[in-house]
Amino acid sequence: MGAVHLAHDVLDAQLVDRLQEKIGRVDALLLELEAGQPPRVATIVIGSAARAERVGHWFVALRRGWRAMLGRREEHLSRIPFDKVRRIGDTIELDVEEQSLESEHLERWLKEHVVCRIPGAEGDRK
Amino acid sequence: MKKWGEVALGVVTSIGGFLEVGSIATSTQGGAEFGYQLAWALLLGTLSLAFLMEMTGRLAAVSKRTYGDLLRERFGYRFFLLPLAAVLVVSFLVLASEIGGVSIALQMATGIPFPWWAIPVALLGWVLLWRGTFGIVEKGTALLGLVAVVFAAGALKLHPAWPAVGRGLLPSAPSENRARYWYLAVSILGASISPYLYLFYSAGAVEDEWTIEHLGVNRVTAGLGNLFGGTLAVAALVAAALVLAPRGIRVDRYEQIAMVLASPLGRAGFVLFLATLCVTCFGSTLEIVLAMAYMLAQGFGWPWSENLKPGKDARFTTSYTVVILLAALPIAIGMNPLALTNLSMVATAASLPVTVVPLLVLMNDGDILLKHTNGWLSNGALVIIALLSIVLLVAALPLQLLGGG
Repeated sequence: MGAVHLAHDVLDAQLVDRLQEKIGRVDALLLELEAGQPPRVATIVIGSAARAERVGHWFVALRRGWRAMLGRREEHLSRIPFDKVRRIGDTIELDVEEQSLESEHLERWLKEHVVCRIPGAEGDRK
Repeated sequence: MKKWGEVALGVVTSIGGFLEVGSIATSTQGGAEFGYQLAWALLLGTLSLAFLMEMTGRLAAVSKRTYGDLLRERFGYRFFLLPLAAVLVVSFLVLASEIGGVSIALQMATGIPFPWWAIPVALLGWVLLWRGTFGIVEKGTALLGLVAVVFAAGALKLHPAWPAVGRGLLPSAPSENRARYWYLAVSILGASISPYLYLFYSAGAVEDEWTIEHLGVNRVTAGLGNLFGGTLAVAALVAAALVLAPRGIRVDRYEQIAMVLASPLGRAGFVLFLATLCVTCFGSTLEIVLAMAYMLAQGFGWPWSENLKPGKDARFTTSYTVVILLAALPIAIGMNPLALTNLSMVATAASLPVTVVPLLVLMNDGDILLKHTNGWLSNGALVIIALLSIVLLVAALPLQLLGGG
């Protein structure tokens, strides 16, 4: 197995869960620094707060103002240990389930409260 | 055999997809005000679009990823926001214009004012997206869109002087009304080269599960389909040059464009014009809404497919629902559809660099395209299109101010 570029091949890659369901992209990658240990890639982060930080301070401030206006407090970030990675290819497969991810909160909420209240939404393929 | 069926369908799809509110409006405006002289802008726009569609289709067929996916993956989130914002803003304007086109056609058919039609049109579009598969949306609207060949019939019936049309295919500077001339040239280019077209096309290649086997189909579809589509747009320009220009009519309402076909073909021409306007704008409405939802879903890594039940990709379906309803509002409150169309086409032209220039990088990346990276011809064309897009960006605003009125 050759070397994998973190910035080129992992950051921003499409993530899928155990069942190959799309679960967002790698919005941030965190290194773990512990005294006496070499740094290691520890965490994949999915969520809009992680994305906002990549754009810049002004975007983080803008987002904070926007969220305060809407009265939102919860962050809905998923922090997934890097050892959940099963495969790195065109997509990155994680040993997790979509249902258990905090970052899929909006998908679940929309499905339950909006989309599935409209006829014809349920089922697998059209 | 199946391959040729796909080729035929693909070609039909691009013909039906080419002619829509923007190309109908800008081609006939060009013909009415400058005769055949602006035909070159259609030729240039058509060729550019053919190259861009071939490339984004090849990208998707080889990598199994869409152009939207790769914009995020290879350029990072920070850069991705730029094409995302540009595509969303510009597509929203074009989408509202298409809904306006359908509504105006319905007004001319029924006498009921166009603002009343905007919401029902959006709802009908939404129902089709909600229930229909990708195949239905893509092929159904494309087949109906073939009614647009009536422009070719109209132009032929008017017996244009072909050598003069041929001279129009070569760019030339106008003797007067310079600002207006270049404004219309930019509008025509914006109407031909719309980002939603190649974003939709590359997502469609993934929806239809294209592989390397489809590279031939892709080349023929992008080439021939756009060639036929562009020919119909030239026909509209020619017909307008022969019907409107001699009468000194400058197109500022859609009703005037109907004359372009009613004059050579009589009542049937009028009816077929309404059908063409209605069907092609409606088809484009569906494609633009999907292109916007695809771009969002791909950029953020959400589940997406027109072939899944809406509950399986809730953020994707919510996106197109919100977008199509919002885009009906400008027309529902009575904004002039033709003025909106002209503004959208210039905005489209100005937005091109952010979706064209990244292709220069992607199409030469052997990690993505393996041995199917661009050759010298595609790269040469792409460099020219990229330079053109930058010229359009710089020229758009001044020309809107000087020649838009």
